[in-house]
Amino acid sequence: MKVLKSWLNDWIDISEISNEDISEGLESLGFEIEEQSDLKPNYSNIVVGKVLEIYPHPNADKVRVTKTDVGSKTYEIVCGAWNFDVGAVVPVALPNSEIKDGFKIDKRDIRGVESNGMICSASELDLWDDHEGILILDDNILPGTDFSSIYASSDYLWDIGITPNRGDCMSYLGIARELSNYFDKKINIKKSKLNPSITNILNTNSGKIKECDSYGSVEIENFKVTDSSFLIRYRLSNVGTRIINNVVDITNYILYDVGQPLHAFDRDKLFNTVSVRKAKNNETVTTLDSQKRKLTNDDLVITDGDKPIALAGVMGGLETEVTDSTVNLLIESAYFDKVSIMKTSRKLGLISDASIRFERGIDFNIQKYGLEQFLMTLKDSQDIKYSELSIDTKNNIKNEKVTLEKDEIKKLLGIELKDSFIKKTLKNLMIDGEIKNDNIEFTAPSWRYDLDRPVDLIEEFAKHHGFNNFSSNLPQGLYKNEKGNFWKVKEYLTKILISNNFQEIQTLSFVNKEMNTVFNPEKKYVTVFNAIDKSNNYLRSNLMSSLIDTYIFNLQQNNILNSYFEINTVFNSSPDNTFNDVPNQNVVLGFITSANLTTQDIRKSDQNIDIYYVKSLINQLINDTQLEPIIKPGFHQNYSFSIFKNNEIVGHFGQLSTELQNNFEIENEVFLGEIYVNKLNLNELKLINYKPLSQYPFIKFDLSFSVPLEFSAHLIVEEINKLLSKNENEIEIFDDFQHENSRNLGIRIVTRSYEKTYDDNQTRQILMKISDSLETKFKITLNSGNND
Amino acid sequence: MPEVNTEKIFASFLLSVEQVTSIDEFNDLEKEYLGKNSLISEERKKLSSMSEISRKKYGKVLQELSTQISERLNQERLSFQSKFFKEKELNDNKDITINWYKDLGSREHVLTSVMNEVVDIFSAIGYTVATGPEAETSWHNFDALNTPDWHPARYESDTLYLDENLEQLLRTQTSTVQVRHMQNNKPPVYIVAPGRVYRSDQLDATHSPVFHQIEGLAVDENLTFSDLKGTLEYFVQEFFGKEIKTKFIPHFFPFTEPSAEVLVSWKDGEWLEILGCGMVDPNVFQHVGYDKNSQGFAFGVGVERLAMIRYKIDHIKNFYENDLRFLRQF
Repeated sequence: MKVLKSWLNDWIDISEISNEDISEGLESLGFEIEEQSDLKPNYSNIVVGKVLEIYPHPNADKVRVTKTDVGSKTYEIVCGAWNFDVGAVVPVALPNSEIKDGFKIDKRDIRGVESNGMICSASELDLWDDHEGILILDDNILPGTDFSSIYASSDYLWDIGITPNRGDCMSYLGIARELSNYFDKKINIKKSKLNPSITNILNTNSGKIKECDSYGSVEIENFKVTDSSFLIRYRLSNVGTRIINNVVDITNYILYDVGQPLHAFDRDKLFNTVSVRKAKNNETVTTLDSQKRKLTNDDLVITDGDKPIALAGVMGGLETEVTDSTVNLLIESAYFDKVSIMKTSRKLGLISDASIRFERGIDFNIQKYGLEQFLMTLKDSQDIKYSELSIDTKNNIKNEKVTLEKDEIKKLLGIELKDSFIKKTLKNLMIDGEIKNDNIEFTAPSWRYDLDRPVDLIEEFAKHHGFNNFSSNLPQGLYKNEKGNFWKVKEYLTKILISNNFQEIQTLSFVNKEMNTVFNPEKKYVTVFNAIDKSNNYLRSNLMSSLIDTYIFNLQQNNILNSYFEINTVFNSSPDNTFNDVPNQNVVLGFITSANLTTQDIRKSDQNIDIYYVKSLINQLINDTQLEPIIKPGFHQNYSFSIFKNNEIVGHFGQLSTELQNNFEIENEVFLGEIYVNKLNLNELKLINYKPLSQYPFIKFDLSFSVPLEFSAHLIVEEINKLLSKNENEIEIFDDFQHENSRNLGIRIVTRSYEKTYDDNQTRQILMKISDSLETKFKITLNSGNND
Repeated sequence: MPEVNTEKIFASFLLSVEQVTSIDEFNDLEKEYLGKNSLISEERKKLSSMSEISRKKYGKVLQELSTQISERLNQERLSFQSKFFKEKELNDNKDITINWYKDLGSREHVLTSVMNEVVDIFSAIGYTVATGPEAETSWHNFDALNTPDWHPARYESDTLYLDENLEQLLRTQTSTVQVRHMQNNKPPVYIVAPGRVYRSDQLDATHSPVFHQIEGLAVDENLTFSDLKGTLEYFVQEFFGKEIKTKFIPHFFPFTEPSAEVLVSWKDGEWLEILGCGMVDPNVFQHVGYDKNSQGFAFGVGVERLAMIRYKIDHIKNFYENDLRFLRQF
């Protein structure tokens, strides 16, 4: 809400308080300052003039020539607007002056007539957008008066945020109440003095429903639609409200001033009792914006007899609208239920200054005051006649007395508050309350909806004590550097992947159906009911689709790095293992890499890797794993494996099926995998059996065996390890050569005894033992020409 | 008895030294002047046939010459070597302004590194990590957190639901983890809960349907508003630096009372909101089955916001496009 300093000053004397102090006060009371600005209109050489004569321009039809008294002189000024007559008091930009946007005004020849300046509209003076033309000022302002002096020349504007629990602060009165405690200054409640002179011809009441607790109204006769006063237009335009006419402007003005939304009906368009009821399903009303609104039983309507004439609290009806010819008014000032108004306004997308105030809760006791202030303002500018106020109240809303134990304040806030502070705060905030022994008994005022529990009053005290006046203390928690297994496993795996040049990514959790089915065709998907993007309304069942997307996206962006990983949640519709009231959710680490890895030295050619690289990566990520081939949708028929640890599946990896690779138009083979983070235990990942280092020299020999095509090479490695189990060994397959139906495996054996240096003879014996055993056990043949 | 002219030999040696062009030639010189077949060795062989006096005298002359050559040789060798390597390095002069290695290594996503940093800051003062489901019940996301069923936050325009009865949703805040954690653990509680949250927004410069929060919760005897202040001031200073000032301004959240927003002083004197916090509302304790006299505080911080402030990132979209040009800057 926009707060104008000069307007706020009506309620609380802040003229002597600096803008900085007021800003600080507003902020410390919980009004977040979104913007603030110094309003210093620079009106030099703009004065008030009185039009003495008007005559036609000799050479132009669309403009007129005026003789205007500007105090010291009478000037001939050409003017294109037609909304004024002789005698009008108007603002005049004299020669050598500046108007809106720094536009310079000087003597100017307009088709043969010299114009000595310009008669200005409100918009030309940067006041507000007007549709009428020239800004007409009050008749009694003397010609020659400096325009700055009739305009609040030095003002300040804050745009503040009001939290949803404080509807009562959506008015100048409400903000003044808060500041009155901060600055310890009394607020000036504007008095009303009324002389009703007509009798009501219409009956009004609050109906039979609990959603309208109070319905107040007044009838006005002898009214004329015109501009509202300069002051009201100035204030409303600065708080961002469109200037319409006196009746609309004043209802808006009262809404901002005291927080009571008002509505004006053309009384001559009403015929029966005006009341409130719930709409019937499918009933319609045409609102002021000419829209025919279809209603339901949740909506509140104002009725004339049984006929709906307005959407209560949200928008008036077109049929009973005030028009230029209106002479008699019925002004409504009501209290409507918060939730009803909220539902209707959100449902119809009609959010207005009034509906926002109703839905946050207006003062349930201010309907009469709102009408009084309306009349006081209108009668200042027009000689109207008005009736007695009619207020029909059910009095169903009451704030109960609440007891706060004083000890609770210290317990929650950690500070002791003096009785004098408590008393002062209660009094300034107009909270009916007193200290009784060790308790504070209080009742919330009619405008507060956030003060019905003891803790609510503690918050009030904390705020008015000033949050920044509390001391600070740093309590220590229970866990000494214990981030928990999940977080630590995540960090552990991340570190390994990063050291292998995998880049972490974060992708959105939404995918299209295809991205789920391609890897998880089992159809147990979770969908978003009200997805923003209807084509991506699935929660992902795997991370692989997003990884492929990112892989392709970066290739298209000419970004060259082909290894990515992501750690995030995947979803399926069976019940969750931990929380049985929600869909199944698992944190998965997904990774992708390509057969063609870019080396980071751009002078060098790319490195080619294959499934073995990924296997080695898995071994680095998770120790002591077993792999088992598995057929998986989206994966290569042969290169797809489940990863087991302690006989439990902890993930899978493989090569993207060549068909999908083709469909995605990816040039190189792609390898993908997923690891189920929640199944891993950090302590187990770190379980490493230390292998002592032998102090003796190694012996090394390469052997080559002819093996069958389908032979599993690791069997040889295992067997040699078994044979040399007392040694420190490095046994590796270094060659796998296949030609037609023959296959040769090259094995390099590096072994060290823990006890001695092998001589040539012993070395030969070891070699014999190994080759004999392997030949016998696997029926394979040692190729000749092996040496050590 | 003809004796060699030692001065001549030394002079010839010096002449050869001057002509040396590679370090290996010093070995050749050593062989030539001091080796088995050198003049000095030849002369030495003659010593046995000499008289004792002559032998001693001539032997001494040869020894002196040999020493002189050997010392000079070593000296020259060292200086040549040192000069040689200096020159070698001077000639190896690459243009270091070229970046042949584009970026070395890979990185965590910037959001992950921010989350890890925040978790570390709190783990250092005794908080552990808690997690909860991202697909949640409306009860955990709203009701338990004191947000009544008519509250605007619950509208379908703001929240992504999983069913037409609006019973399950994608959590809009990590505060849900508070609820889950308290339902399953008795006080005292000191947790931080990092994770994804969801809103009904299109991905653009300032909005994302997915973003990250870190929720903190402490429930313990005697925790007061001052403890909340001290904890968050500690966090801000650890994350942004000791010179950063904080201020607390009152705010409203349904699940805390009193509630506050924390602002930090930024360069050019601007104050930026970085987190929301407050004392846990008694209704929340009641919903999770805690004693009504329980006491504690909660806070929530936006991970994207922290990253955007620290690195002056202006588009939230950057975080989720995963363009390497962005990711590899952090």
